[in-house]
Amino acid sequence: MMDIDPVKALDGKIERLKKDLKSLGNRLDHAQTEAAQQQLSTTNQLRDTTRKVAKTNERVTELADSVHRLERLLVALNRKVRAGETQKADFDSWPEIEKPLIARILAGQEAYARKTFTPQEAKDTRKAIADYDKAAMAAIDAAEALTTLPPNAESLWRKKYKQWHTITRKQRPDAPDENGHAKDTAAKSAGNEAVAEARELIRTRIEDAVARDLLFPAWFENMLGPAAPPGKADDWLYTATDVVLYRLLHDVTSPANALGAPPQEQGHRRTLHDRLIVECADYRKA
Amino acid sequence: MAAEPFARLADRQHALRTALRALQAAGPGSPDFPGLLAETDKEVEAVMHARRDVEAARLTVPNRAIAAGTAVAALIVVIGWFDGWSLLSVVLALAVAAAVLVDPVGRMIWEPRARTAAIVAALVAVLLTPLANGWAALAVLAGVAWWAWRTLR
Repeated sequence: MMDIDPVKALDGKIERLKKDLKSLGNRLDHAQTEAAQQQLSTTNQLRDTTRKVAKTNERVTELADSVHRLERLLVALNRKVRAGETQKADFDSWPEIEKPLIARILAGQEAYARKTFTPQEAKDTRKAIADYDKAAMAAIDAAEALTTLPPNAESLWRKKYKQWHTITRKQRPDAPDENGHAKDTAAKSAGNEAVAEARELIRTRIEDAVARDLLFPAWFENMLGPAAPPGKADDWLYTATDVVLYRLLHDVTSPANALGAPPQEQGHRRTLHDRLIVECADYRKA
Repeated sequence: MAAEPFARLADRQHALRTALRALQAAGPGSPDFPGLLAETDKEVEAVMHARRDVEAARLTVPNRAIAAGTAVAALIVVIGWFDGWSLLSVVLALAVAAAVLVDPVGRMIWEPRARTAAIVAALVAVLLTPLANGWAALAVLAGVAWWAWRTLR
């Protein structure tokens, strides 16, 4: 059917267009809602995943801890098992390293620690000693005068008394040792030789223990780990030798603590102690 | 009475001489020099104290007498030349006089003579008070300062 009236036809067209627009609007709304829903679900999924990852992380940390525990347990167990049937290595008694050798090493270390006078210092010290001696003579003269002064000559008494006191407050410096230098040099080289000798003996015994798979003493394993770390055997042996030598030199007998109580005063022993602590921590970690 | 501190001082001086002989014989370089030095130092202190005792024995009576004189003079000045401002120096001088009367020689090795100086200054201050009024207190203070300086140094 055709509308003859053009206005009516136009109206009909507008009506259709309106309908179309409405349906378009509806579809747009629909699409929007859907998109929002989709986004929501994606967010939820993401959140879920994050939570899961965090949980997994925790689990991994727990697992790492338990692996570490297991590792230590394994070391201890290994030790116990070996203790049943293997021989133990003895790093505690060293009959072949005798007292004189240790004394020589200690003397060498002392010689290294001793302050040596430079010529200028020696000169200054000698001058200070001469000054002191002169002051001492003057003070003795003053005291001599005190024995003869009449009691009412007060200013003289004061003067002599003061002069006497110049010496009582001072300390005579120690004389520089003339041949101390030569003696120290001899002690140092003797100490170095003794250290080399003792080190050789200790190293031989440790190598022997490693070769025969002997069970190390508890302090040794506490300090240096159950075995040499791969690829660092030589350094490890060197440090192990030093640890044993340290125990020997400083009479450390603790069955668990390899180095004993840390030394309080500065010096050769303290330096060595600190160095060994650091090196051994590396070996235990490796 | 006066002979005894003198005898003691002579004894002490003799002992010090002996200690000094030992010290000189040892010489500053010897290992027992510090020990001998400490011993000699003790002897020196003993001599100083003996000398103080001699001084104390010699000065106890004069110090007391001057202190008593100062006290009496202070009373006379207070009554005869009464003045509020003068009271300051008189009261200070009286305090010094009382202290010296109670303990004329003190305990430190240089103290007997220092106390004499302080009490003489107080007496002078009292005698000056009619002329200088309160300003005489400065003389007392100077005497006390002198006493402290000579005693502690």
